[in-house]
Amino acid sequence: MTSATHIAVAVEALVVSFGNFKALDELFFTAAYGEVRGVIGPNGAGKTTLLDVLTGRSSASSGRVTLDGELDLTRMNEVQLALSGIGRKFQKPSVFEALTVWENLDLACRRHRRSLLREVFSTAEAKDSEAVATVLERIGLQRHRNARAATLSHGQKQWLEIGMVLAQEPKVLLLDEPVAGMSDDETIETAALVRSLRGPHRAIVVVEHDMEFVEQIADSVTVMHEGKTLFEGSMQNARADHRVLDVYLGR
Amino acid sequence: MGSGERGPAATAVLIAILLVLVPLMGLHLLGSVGLSVYLVNVVGQVMCFALLAMSVDLMWGGAGVLSLGHGLFFAIGGYLSAMHLLRTAFAKTHVLPDFLQFMGQTRFPAYWHLFDSLPLTLLAILLIPGVVAFVFGFVSFRSRVNGVYFSIITQALTYTAMLLMFRNDTGFGGNNGMTGFHAVAGLPVGGAGAAVLLTTLSTLAVLVALVGGRLLITTRFGRMLVAIRDDEPRLRFLGYDTLWLKLSAWCLSAMVAAVAGALYVPQVGIINPSLLDPSLSLEIAVWVAVGGRGGFYGAIIGAVLVNVVKFWLSAAAPSLWPFVLSLLVLLVVLVLPNGLTDLSNRSRSWMADLGRGLRDSGRRRPERGAG
Ligand SMILES: Nc1ncnc2c1ncn2[C@@H]1O[C@H](COP(=O)(O)OP(=O)(O)O)[C@@H](O)[C@H]1O
Ligand SMILES: [Mg+2]
Repeated sequence: MTSATHIAVAVEALVVSFGNFKALDELFFTAAYGEVRGVIGPNGAGKTTLLDVLTGRSSASSGRVTLDGELDLTRMNEVQLALSGIGRKFQKPSVFEALTVWENLDLACRRHRRSLLREVFSTAEAKDSEAVATVLERIGLQRHRNARAATLSHGQKQWLEIGMVLAQEPKVLLLDEPVAGMSDDETIETAALVRSLRGPHRAIVVVEHDMEFVEQIADSVTVMHEGKTLFEGSMQNARADHRVLDVYLGR
Repeated sequence: MGSGERGPAATAVLIAILLVLVPLMGLHLLGSVGLSVYLVNVVGQVMCFALLAMSVDLMWGGAGVLSLGHGLFFAIGGYLSAMHLLRTAFAKTHVLPDFLQFMGQTRFPAYWHLFDSLPLTLLAILLIPGVVAFVFGFVSFRSRVNGVYFSIITQALTYTAMLLMFRNDTGFGGNNGMTGFHAVAGLPVGGAGAAVLLTTLSTLAVLVALVGGRLLITTRFGRMLVAIRDDEPRLRFLGYDTLWLKLSAWCLSAMVAAVAGALYVPQVGIINPSLLDPSLSLEIAVWVAVGGRGGFYGAIIGAVLVNVVKFWLSAAAPSLWPFVLSLLVLLVVLVLPNGLTDLSNRSRSWMADLGRGLRDSGRRRPERGAG
């Protein structure tokens, strides 16, 4: 770990190709502990693909991805990645609809060093249910703890999924368009929630194409375009950058 | 359905019925009080089908994995049980089974001696289908074969097994299968004693599976299965290797199916490759679909209803059966996607509406008077 900046994930010259098409083309990207990193870019820029590589859903054609400067993430499958501390909220809310809110969160509390066998036969431990209760309060769904996830509204499902990822206690928290389809009020609440999740042992990456939302929550931004890094820095500077403006306003 | 909050009532009723059924079978031994031997036998066979349906429901209702090949495990259990019965028959009669004589054998192949022992046979009935299921499941689940593709492969596997068993030189009786059983636990096959014993055992097996299965789906393991059904990739991204979860449920399911087959074969007195015919495996899915997936009670109810109709029709109008079966399938697909569970829910909401309507109309008049 480079102690000066506390980089959590570092992506270097990452290429992901689908046939002849390069969804990511020599992409550079970092996310540091303690920050909320916004990733913006027009549709098709490769933002979701970046998260796919970080979580083992797509594999890299070339390039390096490391966690804490040492662990090579490109060789791991999604289960190993999740266990090494990468949690992800998907663009389309994906929760277990037939289970209750509590059961969803409880399943997400996967203890890292516990074997699958122990996990299967474990009964609810006080420590775990305390963790679940904490997350439940954070995402503001206490009143719905015994409701089936299927009965939640779209926004509530998004929060539940954020809660599930939180319950994993990840080092790197990836949020793919967390406010897509939310009302204005819900968006404000979500922004506050994401801000409150910042911590010295957690790097948060928020993917959005909505600049306004990113401006509210991100400490720094990475602007992607056609699979490449176009800009990295503060949001103010991004707004002033003419290449970024070109991409967003058309040229 | 998975975590089954409407399950307990239905389950309790079923448990009560099964508990009544067990001693009822015993009545027969007291004289002419109980059911006829034929009926006792029918109850026993239907119970085996109910157990088989539950094994399919564990995967289908539980984890969303539909097997269209559970006839394979049912048949493996059946063949193993038949081998034990043939060995014990031989010990009494010293006559080699027909199919071995046709093959020109003068004695049993050496490994058949293992089946002299009942404990060893029971062990084989659990282990062999478990290993077959493990190998097949490991290969399929690891290469992430899911959904319809998985169902089709299970069917292909069973079909292959049928072709294999049809051959005489496979050594399990070929086309004609195995028959000529002598006695079950010392009770002559076909007699009242054996019928009562087997039916009681089958009913108990359903009871144990129901209680055990209901307990299982309320555990964390059960919830993981539901999570696999809802969104398997999600569960993997939470750090669970779903391969092992699915595989253990799949092997358990295969073993339960094998137990059902092992209990079934002595009741019908014969086993042949027809149990491996894809049509049986498909019918199991129909039983579960009719009763309603998930929670096991639907599987039991579906298996009992469909098979009682089948038994009745096979005497009254056997040629009608395919049409009745097709009609049932259409009914479930078009009207009741969750089988009879849907019907009970709907009638419950109708009753609730009706109740509310009656209450409202009763209340309206005084309200108007007050206003
Ligand atoms: N599995 C895939 N197969 C082929 N092309 C893909 C696949 N996934 C993404 N792409 C393509 O890669 C590009 C980047 O997609 P994506 O990462 O989803 O963009 P974003 O999330 O920034 O909108 C798009 O052009 C998309 O069509
Ligand atoms: Mg996207």
